[in-house]
Amino acid sequence: MLRITGGTVYDPANGVDGVVKDVCIADGRIVSDVDGGRTIDATGMIVFPGGVDVHTHVAGGALNFARGLLPENQRVARKFLHGRDRRAGIGGMTPTTFATGYLYAGMGWTTVNEAAVPILSATHTHEELHDTPIVDKSCLVLMANNEIVLDLIEAGELERARHVVGWLIWAAKVYGVKAVNPGGVAAWKWGKNASVLHGPIEGYKTLTPAAIISGLADIIDDLALPHPLHLHCNNLGNPGNVTTTLDTMKVLDGRRAHLAHLQFHAYGGDDWPTMRSGAATIAEAFNRSPNLTADAGAILFGDAVTITADGPWQHMLHQLTGRKWGNLDVENETGCGIVPYVYRDRHLVNAVQWAVGLELLLLVKDPWRMFLTTDHPNGGCFWRYPEIIRLLMDAEFRKEQIRALPAEAQSRIVLADLDREYTLSEIAIITAAGPARALGLTQKGHLGVGADADVTIYPGKPADGFLFSYPRYVLKGGEIVVEEGEIREVTNGREFVVRPAYDEQIEEYLRPLFQKNYTISFENYPVEIERVRGADVMTPTWTRG
Amino acid sequence: MGGKITCTLGEVKNRADFIVYWGGNPAECHPRHFTKYTLTQKGKFVPEGRKGRTMVLVDIRETMSAKAADIFLQIRPGMDFEVATSLRALLKGQRVDEASVAETGLSVAQLQDLVDRMKRARFGVIFFGMGLSMTRGKHMNSGAILTLAAELNAFTKFVCMPMRGHGNVTGADVVLRWTTGYPFGINLSRGYPRFNPGEFSTVDLLVRGDNDAALILGADPGATMPQPGIEHLARIPTIVLDPKVTHTSRLARVHITTAATGISAPGTAYRMDEIPLPLRPALTSPYPTDEDVIRRIRHAVAKKPAWVPPPL
Repeated sequence: MLRITGGTVYDPANGVDGVVKDVCIADGRIVSDVDGGRTIDATGMIVFPGGVDVHTHVAGGALNFARGLLPENQRVARKFLHGRDRRAGIGGMTPTTFATGYLYAGMGWTTVNEAAVPILSATHTHEELHDTPIVDKSCLVLMANNEIVLDLIEAGELERARHVVGWLIWAAKVYGVKAVNPGGVAAWKWGKNASVLHGPIEGYKTLTPAAIISGLADIIDDLALPHPLHLHCNNLGNPGNVTTTLDTMKVLDGRRAHLAHLQFHAYGGDDWPTMRSGAATIAEAFNRSPNLTADAGAILFGDAVTITADGPWQHMLHQLTGRKWGNLDVENETGCGIVPYVYRDRHLVNAVQWAVGLELLLLVKDPWRMFLTTDHPNGGCFWRYPEIIRLLMDAEFRKEQIRALPAEAQSRIVLADLDREYTLSEIAIITAAGPARALGLTQKGHLGVGADADVTIYPGKPADGFLFSYPRYVLKGGEIVVEEGEIREVTNGREFVVRPAYDEQIEEYLRPLFQKNYTISFENYPVEIERVRGADVMTPTWTRG
Repeated sequence: MGGKITCTLGEVKNRADFIVYWGGNPAECHPRHFTKYTLTQKGKFVPEGRKGRTMVLVDIRETMSAKAADIFLQIRPGMDFEVATSLRALLKGQRVDEASVAETGLSVAQLQDLVDRMKRARFGVIFFGMGLSMTRGKHMNSGAILTLAAELNAFTKFVCMPMRGHGNVTGADVVLRWTTGYPFGINLSRGYPRFNPGEFSTVDLLVRGDNDAALILGADPGATMPQPGIEHLARIPTIVLDPKVTHTSRLARVHITTAATGISAPGTAYRMDEIPLPLRPALTSPYPTDEDVIRRIRHAVAKKPAWVPPPL
């Protein structure tokens, strides 16, 4: 039992906006009152629900590929010393699993959503997530380039596709569905891309990215998944891709979807020299689309590692930068590409990208639909979120940074004209309450009775201007896991898994296809539930309307 | 260097029409490779199977694998880097000196033919073995061949994969990367992982005699290490965990018999393309699993006082 007393509480999901009140905890959950137990005096401090990361890359084959590809990054990264209860590790851009848990918890984030899992190597992702301590986890399976699903959508067999998708979700033991560059990764298997939404995809007769997007969005709604289609739009990173993104919103046509790392999909202009911000156009359309949520995928200047299932984009980036290039195509399902990258504040394109991320966060009016991410580690590392929060809360600080950008960039962005400053309550929404709601995790992101006791207590006055850098306390499931920047208690989080309804007979359809096209046996394909340690299995119950 | 452009083996089965094996002898060392993944299978986009694929073997001698090849290119020992680099030059249309190429045992015409075929391929793959990665030039050779595959992507789809083997070596590599950030050659003596192959690799430690104890798990260095390394293992307290008595067991102080993973102990093996495969035991064993033994050792060690002050 524990009582947090005297703190100023921000719990936007329950309409609590900066109220001094007690937060009581028993058996890992928020309760209305406790009698006895420890008391934390939070007088003068800020009490937030624990952060929820809706889109990050922290575990699995692709990230582990990046660790091996870029040992030079580990060499200069922050080290975590082995201790009695703590594992050794390395921070940096692709932190080791144990360090990932310590870094998220150390920042006050208690739930993370790993956004890209191939079914074929899902066992590997779950192993890594199990080795990621403290935080609760969920993950999304890659589906928009799965050839069995694509063939069914092309043939118009959406009913059967629904059963297949349901079966695949349970086979991978995941929480939701991610679509990356629909059709584009399949085309990349032949060295091509799919950047036109309504054109046929390389290797298919009639199938278009648009058909995949609407088909999958319908299937996910029919399966009643708590989290909607998590969509990485086509044409990522290209100047002028505003058109594709707007088109994608049209294709979705009122269906619910989460648009991932929107910053990378909001560029105007025709080519690199004419590239400009398209954030205003995107935000305007987005504001009119209540069916959509998004995360920012903001970039920060400095080192990053781009890791994405978007193989063709990565080949282009490798040619553009001459940096190392990793590529891994996964049979029948997906692929991934890795290129290290440095965002430079003197570079016109990077300066525009930096502005676009912030512009989207400031121009989208409803904080419940636009969340804080950097698409870690693509736009910057998750442990740099406090820098973005300061940029959002402090217009003067932001303008100072804008003035340092190259003069040529100034006319291509609208950031300098934006005076909005985020309130603490809005920060609590974009870092915790909003993403939890978008993920459909009803016990996360708020401090109402019955919620998981994931609480972050920040000092009221920042020492260095970065209010959210060093939480005073972090509680996860009622345990004090971080105190004064030190890991106190290392707990093991849960993993959220959904089990959608599907026709078991679909296995008879899948088995021969699988035996023909895959190289492992059908029986070895589904992840056994015993291998997802800490699994919290739920039946999806989302309903339309 | 270019990085690593690769895929899972099913991509090769379904798509590859041009397959190069370099410095390896899969016919004898990976005997199921041709039939399960690369040559004889009918693939989704290679319905003709073997007839729809071209196989090239590059090696220093005519091994059993040469029989399976459409083209065999015999190069002189230790010339892999020169051949790979000349191929890269030809790919970019640069001039290549006939006399230098002749030293490799091949002609410019042969190399140009190979480059032309690679560029014409719809989906090409290079598998390389220890005949490339562990001979003169070592990691430079791997770097050159990986870069060649990366650069071919400016013309067509091309991937590259090391022919790994010897039990679950890929699994060790995968797990070490997520736990320490590095694949092998890791030193934890400062309380955090450091990586320096050539300094911290097992062979280097043993030959220099740096370590004062050894715990050997699922390996038999007593059979494969250089003599000074073997002598060092015999000198220090060496503990072996293995289902069988190995060469290393004979020179160890302690041998603990464990259940064989995949036969009488569960686990996960990672294939050479890093696809995890569940291992389900078919039999029971009177012996403990490796994991059980390690846990018990760790538990006992944890009870001892730290030999250095714990970090602040």
